[in-house]
Amino acid sequence: MPTAHVSSIGDVVGILDSLCGVRAGDGETTPSAVTMNFIVFIDDPERRDWVLERAARVAEKHPSRAIVLDSTSAGAGLDVSCSTRESGGARILNERIDVAVAALDHATIVGMVGQLTVAGCPTVLWWSGAGLMESRTFSGLAALADAVIVDSSGRARDEATLRELVEFQRRYPHVSLHDLAFMRLAPWREMIAQFFDDPALRDDLFSLQALEIDSGSEAEALYLGGWLGSRISWEATDPGTFRTAHGETVVFTRTPRGEGRRVVRVVLTSGDSRYLAQLAEDDENVVCLSVEGKKAKPGWLVPLHALDNASLIEGAILAASRDPIFETTLETVRGLLGIPL
Amino acid sequence: MQTQVKTGGSDGQTVNPLREGLATNRIADPCTIVLFGAAGDLTKRMLMPAMWNLRLEDILPTNFGIIGFSRTPRSNDDFRADMKAAVDQFSRSGPAKDPLWSNFAQHLTYVSGDFSDRGAYKKLRATLDANDKQLGTVGNRLFYLSTPPAVFATIIQQLSDAGLGPKDQAEGWSRIVIEKPFGTDLDSARALQAEVSKVFEERQTYRIDHYLGKEPVQDIMALRFANVIFEPIWNRRYVDCIQITAAETVGVESRGNYYDHAGTLRDMIQNHVINLLALVAMEPPISPSADHIRDEKFKVLSAMRPITADDVAKMTARGQYGAGTIDGKQVPSYRQEPNVDPNSNTETYAAAKFLIDNWRWADVPFYVRSGKRLARKYSEIAVTFRPIPHRIFGETGDRIESNTLVMKIQPEEGVSLRFNAKVPGPKMHIRAVTMDFNYGTGFGVTTAPAYERLIGDAMRGDATLFTRWDAVERAWEIVMPTLERWTATHADDFPNYAAGTQGPSTADALLASDGRDWRKI
Repeated sequence: MPTAHVSSIGDVVGILDSLCGVRAGDGETTPSAVTMNFIVFIDDPERRDWVLERAARVAEKHPSRAIVLDSTSAGAGLDVSCSTRESGGARILNERIDVAVAALDHATIVGMVGQLTVAGCPTVLWWSGAGLMESRTFSGLAALADAVIVDSSGRARDEATLRELVEFQRRYPHVSLHDLAFMRLAPWREMIAQFFDDPALRDDLFSLQALEIDSGSEAEALYLGGWLGSRISWEATDPGTFRTAHGETVVFTRTPRGEGRRVVRVVLTSGDSRYLAQLAEDDENVVCLSVEGKKAKPGWLVPLHALDNASLIEGAILAASRDPIFETTLETVRGLLGIPL
Repeated sequence: MQTQVKTGGSDGQTVNPLREGLATNRIADPCTIVLFGAAGDLTKRMLMPAMWNLRLEDILPTNFGIIGFSRTPRSNDDFRADMKAAVDQFSRSGPAKDPLWSNFAQHLTYVSGDFSDRGAYKKLRATLDANDKQLGTVGNRLFYLSTPPAVFATIIQQLSDAGLGPKDQAEGWSRIVIEKPFGTDLDSARALQAEVSKVFEERQTYRIDHYLGKEPVQDIMALRFANVIFEPIWNRRYVDCIQITAAETVGVESRGNYYDHAGTLRDMIQNHVINLLALVAMEPPISPSADHIRDEKFKVLSAMRPITADDVAKMTARGQYGAGTIDGKQVPSYRQEPNVDPNSNTETYAAAKFLIDNWRWADVPFYVRSGKRLARKYSEIAVTFRPIPHRIFGETGDRIESNTLVMKIQPEEGVSLRFNAKVPGPKMHIRAVTMDFNYGTGFGVTTAPAYERLIGDAMRGDATLFTRWDAVERAWEIVMPTLERWTATHADDFPNYAAGTQGPSTADALLASDGRDWRKI
């Protein structure tokens, strides 16, 4: 991939054009297209390569101008590169600008990004940094973005991040917010929904008395509980209790168990039945669903589709607009965390 | 913000509120699928892999059963083993793995018997009843006819006689899926419909045309009705002509027996191609519901001018492939294929010019063509717009092309727009350029095979992508004069195109007489 070091921000676009070969020559035209600005912020040296690899996988599919803001090293300046590939007779271009930002203040970073983005294209910010609302860089970049992607799970501070997301949504109601931790739960949401696809069991959904979730990190349990509650009009009254639309109490128990970012078991208890979804003992990619009690059903197995982060980020990009399901879930999580309105 | 529990599913029951926002917003009701023709190629290559993938995608309900019905005597275990081998070989998700396959296979059972054997249907009924009790399929049944068309009516009659028709049901629903061809001509289609309608109502009948399940075909409607820029120019004032192409490189392979009695007009034009034409030409439906869309499609078909017997010679072209070269390999002529009459009069290529007599499309020709052993496997719909009314740009030698919007169906799936641009430089040279959208790169997703979509829809009771009887009947009415003329007249010039080429010269002449050319395949 052709790369060049650039000393002045004003030279970036010209050098990119040159690297990508989009300039006219000998009467030939070479069309290029950029469908989005993709801003990636990194501040954790241990996760740097991991983030870059996933960002590259996203850029492979979506012609974009990626602006990688790297706060992990003390370097300076900008490196620009461009890759091209053929697909269906068309030439797909991916432009990338790496900016070492460790020594820059937030105003400089935000100003620079504002100059480097392609005007008229949507801007997606993938923030892999540690803090959110306390970071002025995050606030500045979020103001430039149409969509913000974060991952609240697996950093031993899930709850704090979720609190920040609640605040973010309040402060930036027009920005489309996507949390990979919530998106990662899609297979579990599908499985819980499956229980109640059976019309004979559907009424039980409205007479649940207890919810138990075992997971390796906190965000999964909060989100899954918040999602279920928001779908059936439960109100979170404290971290361990929902109140149904009929004023009945549902006990919510969260138990730390298993690897981070993974759900191990979900149990829903109604008056006379127990709905159980748990990882199969001999295969962690399969979930065993069963119903015990009065409405007992034989167990059945479903695949637990592994959703890698690149796919999740892609899903967030394609979703484009705000996700009302996520927003109502986050609102219920707010109640579980005891954050006042 | 809280969500209200919604009601109003097609079954009249409460909608599962947890489904909102999920990939599958309405999963099918519990049901048993009965596959007639379970030993056949379609079951192995398409249907069972599709059902397995629906299972993997969590689209099958948890309470489901699949019963294979065929003449070949086999045990349940043998059937399961055969289906496992089929899935391993043909599924897009690769070989099936345990424990998921074993769990899925518990839902598969097999009934052997002749399609006219009353006793076999008693066994089928007993198996269905057992599924209702053991698998919780609550009396819902989807009968899938993937048999030779000659036994469609027999199976339907036997289902009725065995008390398996919808009218005999105390609870649950029954639907029937019928593979194409629906009849071999207008009379046989009407006769078959008469048999179907004795047992199944129209809303319970799903006539499958797998072309309609292809993602790019569904996108025709999205392109037209989810964008504001196309509809104002989608009419006779701006459109010069529309070309619909469904080209294949394959020959008849092992289907000589069937194909030599069918031909391209029956096999492709009467169903796939006319359906595509209807989607392109129809008026905007008032909603995406099955009946609203199918109403609009039928109106277009009603406005299509049938090609009369006298017009067949000037409005159609037929061809049959001779020996030639495909992908660098020599291939035999059609008449040398297995189970084909050495003097066959069957067309392997058909082209026609259709006209639609309504305000939107009056005088705009719709050129359609389909053929086997052509230069490339390629299906597309190309809308060519009228030339600019007055030329002000371009050097003398520059050719100002008409704009063309192409909806690519296979193998590439996407949309491209050809328009004119200035070549950079001091002179005002104009050259046509292409703006291309490809589903694979645009959305970064692979599309599911058509059968997965269609089986899932039939289980959910969504008939949007299935063909209603009035449209089937009208399509037969449109092609019948041509079919009769071609059958009655021996084509002395057959074979008239070499395998691996663009088709017969008579097809070129069809457009040349209007001052136009086919797009290159």
